Amino acid sequence: MGRYLLGRLLTAIPTLLIIATLAFVLLHAAPGGPFDSDRQLVPQIQHSIEARYHLDEPVWRQFVRYLANLARGDLGPSFQYRNTSVNELIAQGLPVDAAIGLTAILFALLVGGAAGLFAATRPGSRADRAAMSLAMLGISVPVFVTAPLLMLVFAIRLHWLPAGDWVAGSWRHLLLPSLALALPYCAYIARIVRAAAIEALHQPYIRTANAKGLPAYLILCRHASRATLMPLVSFLGPALAGLLTGSIVVEQVFGLPGIGRLFVVGALNRDYTVVTGITVLYGALIIVFNLLVDLCYAWLDPRIRSRV
Amino acid sequence: MIRRRAAGLLSRRRCAPTVAVMLLTLTACGAHEPGASGRSQQLTVGRALAAEQVLTRGIDAGGLRSLDPSISTDVSAAHVLDDLFEGLTRLDERGEPAPGVASSWETSADGRTWTFHLRDARWSNGEPVRAGDFVFAWRRTVNPATASEYGQALAAVVNCVAINEGKLPVSELGISALDERTVRVQLIAPTPYLLSLLTKSYAYPQYEPVVRAHGEDWVRPEHIVSNGAFTLREHVIGGRVRLLKNPRYWDAASVRLQEVVYLPLDRAVQTARFFAGELMFTDPFSAEQTAWLRSRLGNQVVSAPYLGNVVLGLNVLRPPFKGNRNLRMALTLGVDRETLVHFVRQGLYEPAWTPTPPLPGYDAPVPDWARLSEDARHTLARRLYAAAGYTRERPLRIRLHYPTDTDNRRTYEAVAAMWRANLGAEVETYNDEFRVQLNERQLKKLELFHYAWIGDYPDPYTFLQLFQTGFGQNDGGYSNPRYDALLNAAGEESDATRRLQLLSQAEALLNEDVACIPLYYYATRHLIKSYVRGWTSNIQDRNLSQYMYLLEHQGH
Repeated sequence: MGRYLLGRLLTAIPTLLIIATLAFVLLHAAPGGPFDSDRQLVPQIQHSIEARYHLDEPVWRQFVRYLANLARGDLGPSFQYRNTSVNELIAQGLPVDAAIGLTAILFALLVGGAAGLFAATRPGSRADRAAMSLAMLGISVPVFVTAPLLMLVFAIRLHWLPAGDWVAGSWRHLLLPSLALALPYCAYIARIVRAAAIEALHQPYIRTANAKGLPAYLILCRHASRATLMPLVSFLGPALAGLLTGSIVVEQVFGLPGIGRLFVVGALNRDYTVVTGITVLYGALIIVFNLLVDLCYAWLDPRIRSRV
Repeated sequence: MIRRRAAGLLSRRRCAPTVAVMLLTLTACGAHEPGASGRSQQLTVGRALAAEQVLTRGIDAGGLRSLDPSISTDVSAAHVLDDLFEGLTRLDERGEPAPGVASSWETSADGRTWTFHLRDARWSNGEPVRAGDFVFAWRRTVNPATASEYGQALAAVVNCVAINEGKLPVSELGISALDERTVRVQLIAPTPYLLSLLTKSYAYPQYEPVVRAHGEDWVRPEHIVSNGAFTLREHVIGGRVRLLKNPRYWDAASVRLQEVVYLPLDRAVQTARFFAGELMFTDPFSAEQTAWLRSRLGNQVVSAPYLGNVVLGLNVLRPPFKGNRNLRMALTLGVDRETLVHFVRQGLYEPAWTPTPPLPGYDAPVPDWARLSEDARHTLARRLYAAAGYTRERPLRIRLHYPTDTDNRRTYEAVAAMWRANLGAEVETYNDEFRVQLNERQLKKLELFHYAWIGDYPDPYTFLQLFQTGFGQNDGGYSNPRYDALLNAAGEESDATRRLQLLSQAEALLNEDVACIPLYYYATRHLIKSYVRGWTSNIQDRNLSQYMYLLEHQGH
């Protein structure tokens, strides 16, 4: 087990290296630099700003410097926010996205999971079709429609909830963005759970449980639901990585100081370190969550465990 | 091409309008239902002061890159800094320079030496604001080691440029503390707009011990010592900035707000938050929405002339504009500015005939053709177009470059259509991410391009210097020795009226040479809740929170 983990983590290093290299190269290839402005600077100042961020060095040396810092976990200084490190920016933005993302996933699991199981017990019925049509709608309507819609109804028309902003620890500020973010996930989860549960309900062990007279709800909750966990876990891994690094649209609409917005503003302002840093972070999270997913597999399925 | 697309995908400007359109379509749907139409109009405002004096202001999301007065250059940060610090002068309620930390001053006969007398003002830690705090701050701004983009903003001060270029030590800067309460400033030329410059962030005092102790971290809420009407309580990067009233401010008795919260948000989001009752004072709304917003919000939509212009830059170093005044003039005459302003920009902006926007005391040289009828202009334009060697069969084919933005797109599609109809010119509008375009423009690779400028101070010089030979932002490459000589003469002139006359003559020359195609002058654009009082629209669009207050109100 330990060797397996070590092996997986070691293979993560070249992957991250490739991600960092690609991000670095693509960003530096984009026209325009971080300190271009419509006020042209005197050469001395331009030079001293560039020297401050080592932009006066050849690109390969900048890259080596970047990698060396990265190896120490230092993502470098932000170019657009003076005297602020990328680590600091991420430390500030990550909790916002984590709070919203985790609330959203929790909501999606509860509602989506329940809807999926419910539909699975009545395949082909009207209730099933209604639930699945709703799920289809949830998947196809993009967040940039649902988020303003939620804002319009609950904040602008009814004035029940704030239309945005972030106040740490305030559930009222958490609710609308989480809900907007949760809806598509809710729908995905409902569909995944339904498909897996229907398949499980046709398995011989369910027939056995039926035969020995177990109540339907126990069969569903104890036996069928377990079978839905495998596909669910493989979906949740990358989804969580995505949620933690922020949803650009939700952050934009609700004006939240998360990582997604930093990433977009960073790309526009050619804030090389912020964009590369967030890309690497996203890559690392994907790797970690995929590893967790595999570990979960092993835990859930004894057949895989024996192979590991 | 691929590069351009890839850049476009990441573009906030592209993402923001999508969100904007969504928000507005949705809010607009609500507006037509009878039950909803009154929400924002249900607001009733009383006469007494509101019990809770907390103002929430929206600022542009892209800004706040630094709160260090020596370093900061963006408009968002300037709003916050206006509340945190105060220079020798400050802006009054009407946006005019008035005594700030300096209660009085004298000028020498030649207008080159100014002596300021400081009042008993205090830092937020209780220490007195001393003359040396100004000397320290100005030297820090100009010092090349600070690497400030505004290192030459104080170019009017003796030796500023030389120090900034590393040729002289900072101690040679033309500012000195005669004693603890007297500052002497020496200028290279009479500078009538000096009092206005002194209200800007790069001229604020700085509290030396805290800057020395914490370096650039001194502006963090846990360290900062400021001398303005408010102190910094919280600063989330990319998020809220919260200010509290500074009880040690010398004029604290007349400050009614207890707290100011700044939220950096995109335009469309600011508008939505205004409707939700969470923002009371927003930064520019999208010009496209003006009519709709007015129909919904009435006089809470506030717009006034702004110190900025939009012109089309012409590259006179490259064909087809090089040595071709006829063509430049034909294109200038071929734009129907009234139509542009009324139908495309919804009456928000004023048509421009000359680069400098209207300024008090300045007689801008409006060219003769501005007084012609539209038809007469078109006839003249066609004649010049033909004289330049173009016909309907062999039309001018050119690209018009503008930075990606829906407001810009509408304008330039209209301009291209006017040229097509009035002259038969084939103009392709072409948009790019701002930074990409800026780069190409500065390398003088573009022939015809969007060029907008917001003046640094209310004086024609801030617009006219853009056309000076060799000036950093002279992206069209215009050069005329007579023009340069007039600007230099104006710089040396100590008589204010005579100086403005010289500038006006220079500008007339600019129009004569058709150095650019003026389109319109900007306007400030705010949504302001009717219970927020104490602000006045001003040409610099700087509204200090210290004069504002909230009246009792019900509803949103």
